[in-house]
Amino acid sequence: MNATLSFWAESLPSLISGMVVSLEVTAAALAIGVPLGLVAALLVQSTVRPLRWVTLAVVEIGRGAPALILLQLAYYGLPYSGLQLSSMGSAIAALSWTTCAYTSEIIRAGLQAVPRGQSEAAMTLGLSRLDALRFVIVPQGMRVAAPALLGFAILMLQASSLCFAIALPELLSKAQLIGTMTFRYMEILLLAALLYAAICIPATLLVAAIERRLGKHAA
Amino acid sequence: MERTGEARLIVEVKGLGKSFGAHKVLDGVDFSMRAGEVVAVIGPSGSGKSTLLRCLNQLEQHDEGLIQICGIGMQAGLPVPRKDMNDLRRSAGMVFQSFNLFPHMTVLRNISLPQERVLGRSRAQADERSRALLERVGLAGKADQYPARCSGGQQQRIAIARALALDPRIMLFDEPTSALDPEIGLEVLAVMQELAEAGMSMIVVTHEMHFAETVSDRVILMAEGRILEEGPSAEVMRRPKTARAQQFLHAVLNR
Repeated sequence: MNATLSFWAESLPSLISGMVVSLEVTAAALAIGVPLGLVAALLVQSTVRPLRWVTLAVVEIGRGAPALILLQLAYYGLPYSGLQLSSMGSAIAALSWTTCAYTSEIIRAGLQAVPRGQSEAAMTLGLSRLDALRFVIVPQGMRVAAPALLGFAILMLQASSLCFAIALPELLSKAQLIGTMTFRYMEILLLAALLYAAICIPATLLVAAIERRLGKHAA
Repeated sequence: MERTGEARLIVEVKGLGKSFGAHKVLDGVDFSMRAGEVVAVIGPSGSGKSTLLRCLNQLEQHDEGLIQICGIGMQAGLPVPRKDMNDLRRSAGMVFQSFNLFPHMTVLRNISLPQERVLGRSRAQADERSRALLERVGLAGKADQYPARCSGGQQQRIAIARALALDPRIMLFDEPTSALDPEIGLEVLAVMQELAEAGMSMIVVTHEMHFAETVSDRVILMAEGRILEEGPSAEVMRRPKTARAQQFLHAVLNR
């Protein structure tokens, strides 16, 4: 027991630095992917057909292809087309795509949950289509989508562990590395799992609290 | 405001028709009203009353006929130019059965935001006007509340204030009290009566027979997408000519 604890204490700084990378790549993927998801959610409802089709293709590929394949495509595949990304760059690009694709569906459902009377009221008050979206529909739709989006963010942190396949020094890669050097896989992977849980469990509780708060002004 | 025969027409509808699929909801509707008039539209459910109102402000596009409202002409089948549409929305205020306040904004923001975005008023100007209107509908204390904290009757009065804030030339009411308890409905009707007395042009789709008879200048009775009877309120309500109108009025007045 003592041996394990001292091994954990020894390894912790390395795992923490991996965790920071995990959080960074997740934050970047969300910061880029969620706004793109909102744009995609609006564009799939566009009346301009080519725009709708292109958006639909982006969303369906992003949802249909496993994140691991997108990661490997970005890291090992893109250099063949002349674009060489670092492992961090590839990870952010691929996970942003996945995020955009999944969140666009979450956001679209949120927007559609806004009652029709809201856009009719906006229309009869003379608000432009853009103003109606900006001030009336999107804020309410995002509120509906918020709990699912936050839940998705937690899944995304876990999915960031896939980046170990493209040599990104995130939490799982670090644990794996220590494992290969010490052969104490069981203990180090357990510690890595505990670190993921230490973030994901409080985050889940936070999401529930936010959900209750957002429900307060609902009609 | 003048109510003489000389007053110009604020609404003129000729041969208005509207179908949803194979179902003809409006069929050859003709009517007109002068500025300052208050017209009540009554009739059984499904008679096309609400659709008529929704065609007037183009929430529904009509299939046949011509609509003129506040000097804007709209011929069926022809797209309405953006400028005309903006003018229409600015000129005609709409009040819905379900209030449709924006739940994520305070009462004050509900009334001020459209003024800022549509009329270009500053925040201070808009808020000043909003507070004056809230005072007028008896809800000065509610400015900083969210709509969910207001009763149905209060929400509907706020919705009326929100529409009035844009200085409309005509107000369209789509069953404004139908979602309210009869007693709560009275506070909304009182605001509407005050508005009528101030000379606002109003079209009110309603099941409130007392309001139709006492407040409106004229009643239009619809059934099956057509206007069955039309005339001074007391005349239509007390001495209907057609058998269908007699049947409807007998049913609602002797409840």
